[in-house]
Amino acid sequence: MVQPSLLRQTTTGLRKATTTSPAHPQTPPYPPSQPSTAILAAALSQVPTHGFTSTSLTLGARAAGYLDVSTQLLPRGVFELVLFHLATRRLALKDEVDLGEGEGEGEGEGEGEGKKMGVGAKVRRLALARLRANAPVIHRYQEALALMSLAGNIPASLKELAALSDEIWFLASDTSVDTSWYTKRGSLASIYAACEVYQSQDQSTDFKDTERFLDARLEDLRVVGGSISDVGQWMGYTAGSVVNVLRSKGVRI
Amino acid sequence: MNNSISRLAGRRRLLQTGRLLRTREPYRCFSCAARYAQQTPPRSDASKTTHFGFETVAESMKESKVGAVFSSVATSYDTMNDLMSLGIHRLWKDAFVRSLNPGTNPLTASSPSEITGWNILDIAGGTGDIAFRMLDHATNIHNDTTTRVTVSDINPDMLAEGRKRALQTPYGRSSRLDFLEANSERLDMIPSNSVDLYTVAFGIRNFTDKARALDEAFRVLKPGGVFACLEFSKVTNPAFEAVYKRWSFGAIPLIGQLVAGDRDSYQYLVESIEKFPTQEEWREMIQQAGFLIPENGWENLTGGIAAIHKGVKPLKSS
Repeated sequence: MVQPSLLRQTTTGLRKATTTSPAHPQTPPYPPSQPSTAILAAALSQVPTHGFTSTSLTLGARAAGYLDVSTQLLPRGVFELVLFHLATRRLALKDEVDLGEGEGEGEGEGEGEGKKMGVGAKVRRLALARLRANAPVIHRYQEALALMSLAGNIPASLKELAALSDEIWFLASDTSVDTSWYTKRGSLASIYAACEVYQSQDQSTDFKDTERFLDARLEDLRVVGGSISDVGQWMGYTAGSVVNVLRSKGVRI
Repeated sequence: MNNSISRLAGRRRLLQTGRLLRTREPYRCFSCAARYAQQTPPRSDASKTTHFGFETVAESMKESKVGAVFSSVATSYDTMNDLMSLGIHRLWKDAFVRSLNPGTNPLTASSPSEITGWNILDIAGGTGDIAFRMLDHATNIHNDTTTRVTVSDINPDMLAEGRKRALQTPYGRSSRLDFLEANSERLDMIPSNSVDLYTVAFGIRNFTDKARALDEAFRVLKPGGVFACLEFSKVTNPAFEAVYKRWSFGAIPLIGQLVAGDRDSYQYLVESIEKFPTQEEWREMIQQAGFLIPENGWENLTGGIAAIHKGVKPLKSS
């Protein structure tokens, strides 16, 4: 009986120490001391006007005190800028999203005092917060999506998407370690990707349509997931019954 | 197999200049060659040595020997490159220039006075292959008509070839293209912190002191400037390497003999490729000179036959 609370304590401790998902390296991918980070950060502020283009990179290099030629520090060119946007927005999630927990108590998943948020609600809030973080560059976001979909860039893009999905489930205090670990991350990743594509064409104010779209997809997931588990339950029950009926008829199973 | 090739090659007296310095060799039969080799005293004037292909020569000698090689190949340089690389050297050079993306669109400048273009130094670029490509790229891709290239080469014959070719390009008589006869280990005529981009394509292999050339590159580059090197390197796939070695040691000297009438120069070429450091070692050397290395530091072309190495000079040298 003592074990669960112990376990919970360690996860809380771990979570405080790392603050991002422990599946990923502790050192941030873009250390601020690196010259390439300075160029990328300056270039990202040019994206609203110049888009995800080499012009942004060049202007970013100039703003950071480098030469036009210094963009050679970024061998993948503009795609580095896209990855930088994705990674920094992902890492910012943990600081920017208030999940309604008090100072530091990471327990109470589901049940507990009053109106704690469920894991599902946390996932929704995190996904929405991540989508809203695209707002400053959303009018140029199709350029980023186009770059991400180039054949050579797909592996890196998928890796980043998987990292985001993992981060969201982690921050939502999901601790499952069964096959649902994979299905949860896979389904959230596909929902999020669909939402981003939808968002890049969203004309509504404050991304209301995107929010509705996200809710609809999460609802779909809930319905499909529920049906699958219902079907599984039914099949398990039926199979058990069949075996019992056969046994009662004298078949040796 | 490689061993036997290298032994044979090592014994061959390579070049005219080398030959003049020695007294004529006596008749050498197979049975007396070993004895002869033992009797030849080591060169006493060689305080420091370097390699010239598979031969070891005094540092003071390498420059003149390399000079002789390139003087003799200058006129047939392009034909030979096409034959030896099956035309692929053009693709490498294109890829090199495209990855560097030289030139700045004047529209990105906030004020007209800001439009200065890049100052590019193309080392060992005698025939202008890289220089013309960079100027074309800047002009056609970025509408940049201010970027300048200084072609530097130690060999006047190669430079003469480049000057001749420049007349067939739009840059021949413009101020955007300059020629400079200089040793890249002593670029005294070029002020420090003045160059945006330092390129060397298929040249650094022939330098006597590569570390010193790197230091000199570091000096002339502006902070944030880029050192870029296209050079033969090591093939990564062993099966492909076997084929490649056959081609380079078997076919290339033969092609040189048949087409350019100069076997020894091309024998030197393939040996010097063999002697050049691996991708990792070369990256280490670039890093030692103080450059920042972007990502893993190199990009292999055609399975590692050639590789592009880059380094960026940091803003504040620590």
